[in-house]
Amino acid sequence: MDKKVIKGVFADGDMLKEAVQELNEKGITIRNVYSPFPIHGIDKLLGIKPTRLSIAAFIYGATGTSMALLMMWFMMVSDWPMNIGGKPNFTLLQNLPAFIPITFEITVLFAAHGMVITFLLVSKILPGATAYVSHPRVTDDKLVIEVEMNQSDSHEQAAQIMKLHGAEEVLA
Amino acid sequence: MQHEASIREPLILGNKSYHQATEDICRPVEGKANKYWWAAFIISVCTMLWGMGAIAYTIGTGIGTWGLNKTVGWAWDITNFVWWIGIGHAGTLISAILLLFRQKWRLSINRSAEAMTIFAVMCAGLFPIIHMGRPWLGYWVLPLPNQFGSLWVNFNSPLLWDVFAISTYFSVSLVFWYLGLIPDLATIRDRANGLRKKIYSILSFGWKGSAKDWSRYEEVSLILAGLSTPLVLSVHTIVSMDFATSLVPGWHTTIFPPYFVAGAIFSGFAMVLTLMLIARKVLNLEDYITVQHVELMNKIIILTGSIVGIAYITEFFMAWYSQVKYEQYAFINRAFGPYFWAYWAMMTCNVITPQLFWFKKIRTSLTATFIISIFVNIGMWFERFVIIVTSLHRDYLPSSWTMYSPTWVEIGIYLGTIGLFFTLFLLFARVFPVIALSELKTILKPTSAPKKEHHG
Amino acid sequence: MEKKYWKGLEELRNDAEFVKHKNNEFSELLPLDEIFTTKAENSTSTNRRDFLKFMGFGIAAATLAACETPVKKAIPYVVRPEEVNPGTPNYYASTYADGHDFCSILVKTREGRPIKVDGNDLCSLTKGGTSARVQASVLSLYDSGRLKTPTINGEEAAWAKVDQQITKELSDIAVAGGKVRILSSSIISPSTKAVIAEFVAKYPTTKHVTYDAVSHSAMITANEENFGKAVLPTYAFNKAELLVSVGADFLTNWISPIENSYQYAQKRKLDESKTMSRHIQIESMLSLTGSNADTRIRIAPGDVGATLLALYNKLGGSSSAPSFDAHEEVNKVAAELAAAKGKALLVCGSNDHAHQVLTNVINVLLESYGNTIDLDNPSYIRQGRDAEMTQLVNDMQGGEVKALIMYNTNPAYTLPTSMKFEDAIKKVGLTVSFADRADETASMAKYICPDHHYLESWNDAMPRAGILTLTQPTIAPIFKTRAAQESLLKWAGNDTNYYDYMRNQWRTNTYPTLQGAGTFESFWNQSLQNGIIEMDARPATFYTLQGDLSRHITSIVGNKKSEGIALVIYEKTGLGNGNQANNPWLQELPDPVTKITWDNYLCVSPAMAKEKGLRQGNVVEVKANGQTVKAPVVVQPGLHVNTVALAVGYGRTMAGKVANNIGANAYSMVSLVNGTFQMMAAAEVNKTLDADYALASTQTHHTMMGRALLKESTLAEYKQDARAGNPPVLIPVMEDHKQVGKAPKDVTLWAEHEFPNHHWGMSIDLNSCIGCGSCVVACSAENNVPVVGKDEVMRSREMHWMRIDRYYSSDADANDLKGMETASENPKVAFQPVMCQHCNHAPCETVCPVAATTHSHDGMNQMAYNRCVGTRYCANNCPFKVRRFNWFKYSDNDQFDYNMNDDLGKMVLNPDVVVRSRGVMEKCSLCVQRIQYSKLTAKKEKRKIRDGEINTACAQSCPTKAITFGDYNDKNSKLAASTVDERSYQLLEELDVRPNVLYKTKIRNINPNQA
Repeated sequence: MDKKVIKGVFADGDMLKEAVQELNEKGITIRNVYSPFPIHGIDKLLGIKPTRLSIAAFIYGATGTSMALLMMWFMMVSDWPMNIGGKPNFTLLQNLPAFIPITFEITVLFAAHGMVITFLLVSKILPGATAYVSHPRVTDDKLVIEVEMNQSDSHEQAAQIMKLHGAEEVLA
Repeated sequence: MQHEASIREPLILGNKSYHQATEDICRPVEGKANKYWWAAFIISVCTMLWGMGAIAYTIGTGIGTWGLNKTVGWAWDITNFVWWIGIGHAGTLISAILLLFRQKWRLSINRSAEAMTIFAVMCAGLFPIIHMGRPWLGYWVLPLPNQFGSLWVNFNSPLLWDVFAISTYFSVSLVFWYLGLIPDLATIRDRANGLRKKIYSILSFGWKGSAKDWSRYEEVSLILAGLSTPLVLSVHTIVSMDFATSLVPGWHTTIFPPYFVAGAIFSGFAMVLTLMLIARKVLNLEDYITVQHVELMNKIIILTGSIVGIAYITEFFMAWYSQVKYEQYAFINRAFGPYFWAYWAMMTCNVITPQLFWFKKIRTSLTATFIISIFVNIGMWFERFVIIVTSLHRDYLPSSWTMYSPTWVEIGIYLGTIGLFFTLFLLFARVFPVIALSELKTILKPTSAPKKEHHG
Repeated sequence: MEKKYWKGLEELRNDAEFVKHKNNEFSELLPLDEIFTTKAENSTSTNRRDFLKFMGFGIAAATLAACETPVKKAIPYVVRPEEVNPGTPNYYASTYADGHDFCSILVKTREGRPIKVDGNDLCSLTKGGTSARVQASVLSLYDSGRLKTPTINGEEAAWAKVDQQITKELSDIAVAGGKVRILSSSIISPSTKAVIAEFVAKYPTTKHVTYDAVSHSAMITANEENFGKAVLPTYAFNKAELLVSVGADFLTNWISPIENSYQYAQKRKLDESKTMSRHIQIESMLSLTGSNADTRIRIAPGDVGATLLALYNKLGGSSSAPSFDAHEEVNKVAAELAAAKGKALLVCGSNDHAHQVLTNVINVLLESYGNTIDLDNPSYIRQGRDAEMTQLVNDMQGGEVKALIMYNTNPAYTLPTSMKFEDAIKKVGLTVSFADRADETASMAKYICPDHHYLESWNDAMPRAGILTLTQPTIAPIFKTRAAQESLLKWAGNDTNYYDYMRNQWRTNTYPTLQGAGTFESFWNQSLQNGIIEMDARPATFYTLQGDLSRHITSIVGNKKSEGIALVIYEKTGLGNGNQANNPWLQELPDPVTKITWDNYLCVSPAMAKEKGLRQGNVVEVKANGQTVKAPVVVQPGLHVNTVALAVGYGRTMAGKVANNIGANAYSMVSLVNGTFQMMAAAEVNKTLDADYALASTQTHHTMMGRALLKESTLAEYKQDARAGNPPVLIPVMEDHKQVGKAPKDVTLWAEHEFPNHHWGMSIDLNSCIGCGSCVVACSAENNVPVVGKDEVMRSREMHWMRIDRYYSSDADANDLKGMETASENPKVAFQPVMCQHCNHAPCETVCPVAATTHSHDGMNQMAYNRCVGTRYCANNCPFKVRRFNWFKYSDNDQFDYNMNDDLGKMVLNPDVVVRSRGVMEKCSLCVQRIQYSKLTAKKEKRKIRDGEINTACAQSCPTKAITFGDYNDKNSKLAASTVDERSYQLLEELDVRPNVLYKTKIRNINPNQA
């Protein structure tokens, strides 16, 4: 038995938040909220878990660091050590000062790209992905709450609440 | 999370609604280009083509087509490289560091500043490649396994550090910039139809603006900013190490990293101003890029300009204090030697002119700002020229002291990169929103809402 | 019965056509022959199948051809000559004698082509030393400007025709009793003399006239008058405690420069005894010899006589000596001479009879004869008689000379214009030249019978009584040339080839004079192998004077003219008398003193420049002896105020692509005074309105700016303290709150790399280096260093791997940086050869992104050309600026039309050294190819490398033995010894880049009471 979706279209973030609050109290399940710009604090109201992307970034960075050091150790110290300008390259430690800059750069490289790629993948934001446009002006100036309910029960209540909180229109 | 007192003058004038903002900012992308744009575009493309010709000639005939010699092995090539990289820095700085400091005023300029970064780095990256005697073997600077077996690169060389620094910097900036574009591209997508819609829906990666996306998106932006900040500092530090780690008198200086970073921000902001002042006129965005923005940037220019000035003086002091006669001569030669004019050009443009910004009148006058920003750009070019050429042309053994003068080829290549830069920037202004629309909306006070907005 | 299969219906039918071809592979003939006849190709008969055949073949062929790039001109030996061993060089002892220089040499050949000339250690004159000209001579062999065949009136002709015509003309002249003249520069080959004698015997009206472009005729006549010996003496510079030279540039051009340089340096090398000779140069222009002098006195060119008289008077003579501006100083010199009797030597470069007589007189007073001058083993290097030459030209003008045969001489170029040689030669019926090219003179001759290059020919030489050397061919004649001697013999009706002729000469003349030489065969082979035989010299004896002085004194007093501007005409270290002007190596070799290449210019003293408002590069008109030439100005400190100087050797018009139309010809202004050609003239110098002329100089800054780069001291100080002028370099560091000085090598952060087996290095004695530049040319020859030409040198892009820095002293105070940039009026000059210092902490290596330059396990800074991408970072970071970048493609590039763009010129390239491509960095490799070669030989012989076994090209070529190459790890090596020498120092030691090249302080033997 399929679900029915009604949309409340708002013009302002704060009103939308209040609407969301009330809907929550009334135990009406909110399917999603779409907006042309981030609405601060909405994620708490919708119970969105804080993202773990930062942890991912850290792991990627750490990988970068070790990769960089490993590469440079292999090339300069282990595989084919050469006397370059009399500089010591007998062990990684002796040669480390010269390795710092590149280690840092590769760390950043890995962290940044790793994180962004993960983000795009998990959020399915990819070239060619077809966008779900909940309202023609949702990327312009309209904010939309999508409420989900069973075919059977009426959507009057939800519509009421949203109207009350300044929804410009409610689409069934 | 700070509260914005209503008494503070608004960053965006004309009390725009979300929709107006969208309209204003999408207009340049959706409308037809005006004649200023075309004029600028044609000129830029022509200069670019001339540069391409000069590059082709160089690669075909040899570096001998430049004015370099046995003593002065670098001149305009590396001067331009450092100059462009420096200019690039402002973009990242504005979008990353000001983001971390929650400076809302950045929102009007960060998008185009980042674009500038990317184009500037592209111009910069050109020089290390074409300045090689055998550019077709340029890929040898990458640590690739090769037919010679264990023939690796030299990780002790600052030039190799550059390779990694520049490429990381470029790719990360590019990602940062594009990530910021995605929601705005979606906006354009939803306003467009037909082919435009198709193109922009590919470009916008199917962005739908759901709450979860937004929360992740903001997290990512924040971390990217956090990564870019040390990155941008490291890049110019490493560039400065090309000189600082050598033993050429005038190069061998520990002050270089901070001095170069300051210089970079200095020149970068100058270039941002130059571009913004043109852009706001040509794309009529006067309400979004206001005198307040200009003034704030001018303040940063005073700061960095003064830092650079102090660096110059410190160098002289250290030369005297070090008691190393080669070092001492290098600096006396800078100021009073055959290239004194370059030195004093640098001093005037970088140290004296920015001090005019202490006067609010000048600081807030767009014409004055424009002129001074040009001066700073010139001055910073001369700074690099002075550092590179006047240090090299008279180093340790007087027997090999020489003079250097550029050929038309070098000049052509330099102008060519400027052409390339503006070509890219003009194209950018036509296909992408030059102001970070979605971010901007977070600081707009919607007319429809009676309540004061919170910054949650 | 077996089954029968038919090839086709034809067989079944058995028709005639089939039966005919039945045994052929193909039943019907392939239409190949039509295809490959032009008819078929042109006609459209080619049908589809043929087209497919073509295409198939074409594609297959193309594919195969593309498989590998075709090897260009790799022709293997069909039968390998047993002495040629591919990859290993052969050395042949030979002799360089061009009528101007003499040098006993070893010629290095690879796969049958001479590629390098080294000195021959067995020769007691040159001691293995060479000069720039000798080093460069190998390139002249491959000069595309040489004549390929004999010519008649400029038309190529066959030898037979030429011989037949010349013999006929000669015999006609002989019958008519017309005068025949053989004109040549000094011939030091006994066999050649014999050939000429034989020719004279055949044509009795013949006379042999000897004429030197730069004449020493006056010395010969003076010796004839004073001692009854018409020869040049030999000098013992190595015996002279006090050496005074009046305008004699004996280190570069005077008589026997290589020999002189060696002796001179021997006497000035410092050891425990801490003694060295004192050298006073009295001259007008700043010569290389003068710039090496301990004391240098500037006189006007006109005052040479007066100077000699002044000396004469002080030394006991009495004459009415005219006074002159440097009188006082010269008197001091006289005092020193008087004190040094028997250990002193006076030489005089003037070609004036009276001057040379006076010089002899003074030397007699100084008891030099038997001590520092040897008249009993005379030198034959210069034999020219100016009187004979002038006589000859008069006879030619008078039309008396019917035949003129010219050998190794170029009077049309080297005679002063006043002699009108061009007109004179037109009046001679039969003119024959042996020149190797249609030069200024040969082009006017009816017949040119090109002589071999000396590397292609047999010859012998007697540079000095009792010393005989051999010249042997090292390559088959490249062109249809023939030994001049052979031509003369042929025309004299003797058909023996010159080799046999010379061999017989030795058998009959030389061989008998030697006792215990074994059979002639063994003697001959021995001499050929050594290239030289030396008989015991006669003891040098004391000489007293003959003839009276008065008339000479009066002539001197009469001729004294020191007023007004005087022009000095001099020979350059590189080009000498100009006979090798078409040699790009010599043209590109910077003049040791002015450091200018590729040009002739007028040296003007700073004082005169100020007075006349002249700047470097201004074009002036020089008028002298009725001649006017234009030349750019070079403001040259060290010149006498009223002196200007212009070099000979330039202004060639028909020498070849390299030399033509470079600079003015100074010979044209040589004056003929008292019957001798004198290299000076009263002159007039006027600034012209011409645009400034750009000069290509390899060194544009001339003073040391108060930096201790070239450390020097005086003998007196050195005797006090061996470290004089070379104080230890100390870096101030803090140790427990006290500042202490530490040697740079003790202020280090990290552990050192080790050099387990060898540690190559070099030591350069600045006291021995005279700056002659033979090392620079030797280096170019050994390492295929390209010639880049004037324009590139002007852009400071010369490619020389080693250079010789020349510094002038400055009077300015050490804090006056601007002032220090200008040299003093009469500066002290010092030379410092600089090549890659092979730093153990090489700054260039650290900065290379692709590790193209790294340090070898035996201490060398090595360059991997193939890995280089050309960032030039290494060159920027090299404090010595010794790295050279290939700005362009210098080989096979007609923009650089010297020797590396044609197959002939390329034959000089050293196959052991790669020719660098465009866009890569290059530099001195310490002749790594030689090191490797010796390592291998030592390995094959299962032994360690002996000290002195390996020698770099520069060290080997050095006439003064200033450079020592060796192994620091070999504790008994000469190099190891010089590490503990107090005079040794490293260039820019304070940078602690740890160079492997050491320098030894220059010590000047300055007399406290003589400036």
